[in-house]
This record gives sequence, structure tokens and C-alpha cells, in this order.
Amino acid sequence: MTQLRRKQLNRGLVFLLFTLPAFAAILVSVEIPFLMSVVSSFTKWNGLDKAQTFIGLENYKELFLDDQDMWKAFGFTLRLTLGSVIAVNLCALLLAVILDSDIKGKNVLRAAFYVPNIISLIIIGYIWRFIFSAGFDSFYQKTGWEIFMLSWLGDVNIVYFSVLLVSLWHSLGFYLVVYIAGLQTVPRDLIEASMIDGANRTKRFFRITLPLIMPSITVCVFHSLSNGLKAFDVIFSLTNGGPGNTTTTIALDIYRTAFVINRFGYGTAKSVVLFLMILILSILQVRVFKRREVEV
Amino acid sequence: MKKHSLPATMVTIVLFILATAYLYPLFLVVINSFKTFSEITSNVLALPKRLVWENFQNAFKIMNYPRYFLNTLLATTVGVCGVVLVSSLAGYKLSRTKTRYSFIMFMILIAPMMIPFHSFMISLVKVAKQLHLIGSPLGLGVLYWGLGSSLALFMYHGAVKSVPQELDDCALIDGASPLRAFFQIIFPLLQPVTVSVVVINTMWMWNDFLLPLLVLSGSKKSLTLQLAAYNFFGLYKVEWNFAMAGVLLTILPAILFYLSLQRYIIKGMVAGAVKT
Repeated sequence: MTQLRRKQLNRGLVFLLFTLPAFAAILVSVEIPFLMSVVSSFTKWNGLDKAQTFIGLENYKELFLDDQDMWKAFGFTLRLTLGSVIAVNLCALLLAVILDSDIKGKNVLRAAFYVPNIISLIIIGYIWRFIFSAGFDSFYQKTGWEIFMLSWLGDVNIVYFSVLLVSLWHSLGFYLVVYIAGLQTVPRDLIEASMIDGANRTKRFFRITLPLIMPSITVCVFHSLSNGLKAFDVIFSLTNGGPGNTTTTIALDIYRTAFVINRFGYGTAKSVVLFLMILILSILQVRVFKRREVEV
Repeated sequence: MKKHSLPATMVTIVLFILATAYLYPLFLVVINSFKTFSEITSNVLALPKRLVWENFQNAFKIMNYPRYFLNTLLATTVGVCGVVLVSSLAGYKLSRTKTRYSFIMFMILIAPMMIPFHSFMISLVKVAKQLHLIGSPLGLGVLYWGLGSSLALFMYHGAVKSVPQELDDCALIDGASPLRAFFQIIFPLLQPVTVSVVVINTMWMWNDFLLPLLVLSGSKKSLTLQLAAYNFFGLYKVEWNFAMAGVLLTILPAILFYLSLQRYIIKGMVAGAVKT
């Protein structure tokens, strides 16, 4: 009996020895701060004082009832997310299908499209600031095309597309390689069988390939959705939320609320809302997309 | 082997043109970092008349490049090693232990995959301050342990299932301690996952901006390269020749890393994406 118990105790200790470091690290860096944020969202707190005054739902009331800037950021983030989810997935899937076919040098091409993805988004923003200003001036001188004379970062109506373009340029390679990996799992014999049955290229793609790579689509849409909703770095360096407040995303708004105007309590309320929004949209998306996945 | 038909050749050519256009902005960065300021203002597209290395000397000095390079290297190394260590240990044990407590622990440890960084960053700064993890690259590296471990642990947890349990049992019967059995027998077999984990975390930590901004920007000596680049651009909003030299210096390590380990990087990133 005692031997059994000692063995159990020993097993428990070994279990703790293996799992405690990860548990401690995750608790400290993620879970405790997250719970603290939830608590802080019900307080007034300037970040400097120790004191946090409990104010109930005041922060949430302000957020939902009179924060124009937040709702503007909310709207822009949703538009940006929608645009980038559609653009990046369509482009990456199309390119992946072409690259997966029988062409020379596809590894070189795949590697080339992936290059922007290894550069930090902060730097990407600065590179494109250069292209949009000095670069486009020279393009205009060379071509005379009006499109290069537009104020790509200064015009409220255009800046959305500039941000979209830069995000697409940065992330396309990542989604491309995920789709290519997905396409490579499609069994060759299924494709050949459909060719014998006389299905043309388009039919083959929509009836065979697309349903079979649904898992890749689920994954890519999931990532592009959450990356869009979390957009921060590229906005920070490319437009810094401007012109005016038109390209401020929720993440940037949270950052400013807390670290620029020192309303930490209010900032945490916004971050709780961001968390819920991403959680709900992601769960919905995965549910809807999972239902369309088929087994081979 | 099929013969390449004419349309296939056409598609290939079009794709290569497209890829060239795709990377053209980076080409512009490279050529303009070697120009004088007046050359840039007259024509961005022209090649430099002579290579102006002074741009790089200037950027190198003003950015304080060597120091911030080493800071970034330190934070990334500490972060990546820690993530690999704690997540492989936990992922292995949680995969092997099939009890209710083990399952609950697993859920607690992977839950952060659903929590976006921006939703707890404000309080994270407070916690980091209290634990004195603020203002040093080492502290930044330690903060990454928890931030990177959930995904890594999840990947290890899945991979351990394909390693036969008999291997652990044999090692234990032969008298190895549990830790030794893990490090000498199991861990080497998990190498493909380790490669993915290292790749994903290296790319992320090296390029991360927001967390370093929150915990390091107060202390001049301990900035990372991304932060230094950010400050540097604040100085040179118009002098594109300096700015582009700074860009090139900042992205060079990542580009070299990518060129030397390209196959592993693409494979690793795909593995990480698909696992979630």
C-alpha cells in the first residue's frame, strides 16, 4: 500500500517537474495579465498610481455609447479585415494553383513570393512609405500615369487601398505556401479519374480540388481573419492611423488609449472587447468552414 | 516526364515577370540605399552612379547597430531556447499522461492560443514591471517563454503521439531518470517539430515590435533592432538615402537567415499554421 502510494506520489512529482515550467511561464506572460485586464476594465486607472478605483460598467458604457473614435477604428478594422481576407485568399489560392501545376522553376517562384513575409511589418511600412512618395514620383515622371500622382497615404478615400495593398504584399507568400502544401495532399488518382470521366479544368477545380483543400482554406481564412482584426505594426509605421483618424485600427486605438493618453482602465475595457470580438468571429468562421470539409 | 507545352512555358514566363515586379520594391530599396540624396530626388529608378557606402556607415553608427543587433540576438536566443525547453517537456508529459488532471492542465496551457496579444498587453507591462523583466533584452526573452509556449506545446503534444511509448519504458527500465530518458531518447526524435518551433519563434521574436516597444523603449541601451530602426526613421523622414540604408541593415539578418535555411523555414511556417 505504502509502496503504491509512494509510486503515485513519485509519478505526480515527475508530472509537475515536466509541466510546471510551461505552466508558470504561460501564467505569468498571458493568463494572469489577461485576468488582470478583465478586472481592470471595471476600474479607473491611470497606470502610474497604484490605486485603481472601481467604477463598475462605466468604461463599457462610455465605449459603447460615446466613443466615436473607437467605433471609427472598429469600422475601419472590420473593413480592412474583410478586404484582406478576400484579397489575400483569392490571390494566394489562384497563384498556388498555377504554381502547383507542371511548370519550371516553381520552387524559385515560391521562395521569391515568400521573401516579403520574412521582413518585419514595421520595416514593410517604411519601405512602402518610400515607394508611395519618392518611388511613385519617379514612376509618374517615367510613365505619365495619373495613378502615380495620387496621394496614396494622404487621401482619405485611397489610403484604405494602400494599407490593403501593403498587407497583401507582405502576407501573400505565407498563405501561398500553406495553399501549395494543401494542394499537394490532393490525391493524383482522383484528378486522373476525373480527367478520364471528361471533367474540364474548371469543373475539376471546383468539384474535386476545392472541396479537398477545404482544410487549408479554413486555416488560411482563420489566420487572415485574426491577423486583420489585430492589425497594428503596419499601420503604426505606414500611416500611424492617419490621415486624421481614418486608418486607426482597434489595436492601435487600445495602444493609444493606454500608453499615450494614460487611460489604462479604459484601455483594458477596449482590449476585452477586442478579445471577445476575435473569439466570436473566429469560432463562427471555423464552424462554418469546418462543415464544408470533406474526407477523402 | 511530360514535355513542357507552349502554354506552360508562357505561364512560366509570365510568372517570372510577376515575381520580379513583386520584388521590385525591395530592389528599389537596395539601389537607393547606395545613392546620394540628390540622386534619389532626381530619379528613384536609376541605378546609383557610384556606390555611396557612407550611407551605411552613417546608419550603422547612428542606429548603434552592433549593440542593438546583439540585444535582439540575446532576446531571441533566450526566448527560443526557453520556449523549446518548457514546451517540449510539458507537451511530452501531457501527451503521455492520460488522466483528467493532465487534460485540464493541457487545456489551461493551450487556451492562450485564443487570446490575442493586444487584449492583455496593458496588464502584461504591469506584471513585467513587478517582476523586473522590463528594460533588458534578457527580460524580454523571458517574457517570450509564456507567449510562445502554447502553440509550441500544442505541436509537441501532437508529435509525441507518433513516438512509441515502449521507448520511454525501455529507457526507464534501464534505469534512466525521467528527465534523462526524455532528453536522450525522446527529444532527438522530435527534431522535425523542434525545427518548426525554432523557425516560427525566431522569425516572430526577431521581427516583433510591439512588445519590445512596451517593455524596452524606456531604456536607450537595451533596444532591439526593430526599435532602433523605428527611432532611426523618426530622425530621417526625408533623407531617404540614410533611411533605406537603415532598412537594408535591419532586414539583412532575416534575409540571410531565410536564404540559408529557406526550405526549413517554409516547411516550419506551414507546419505551425496548419496545427492551429
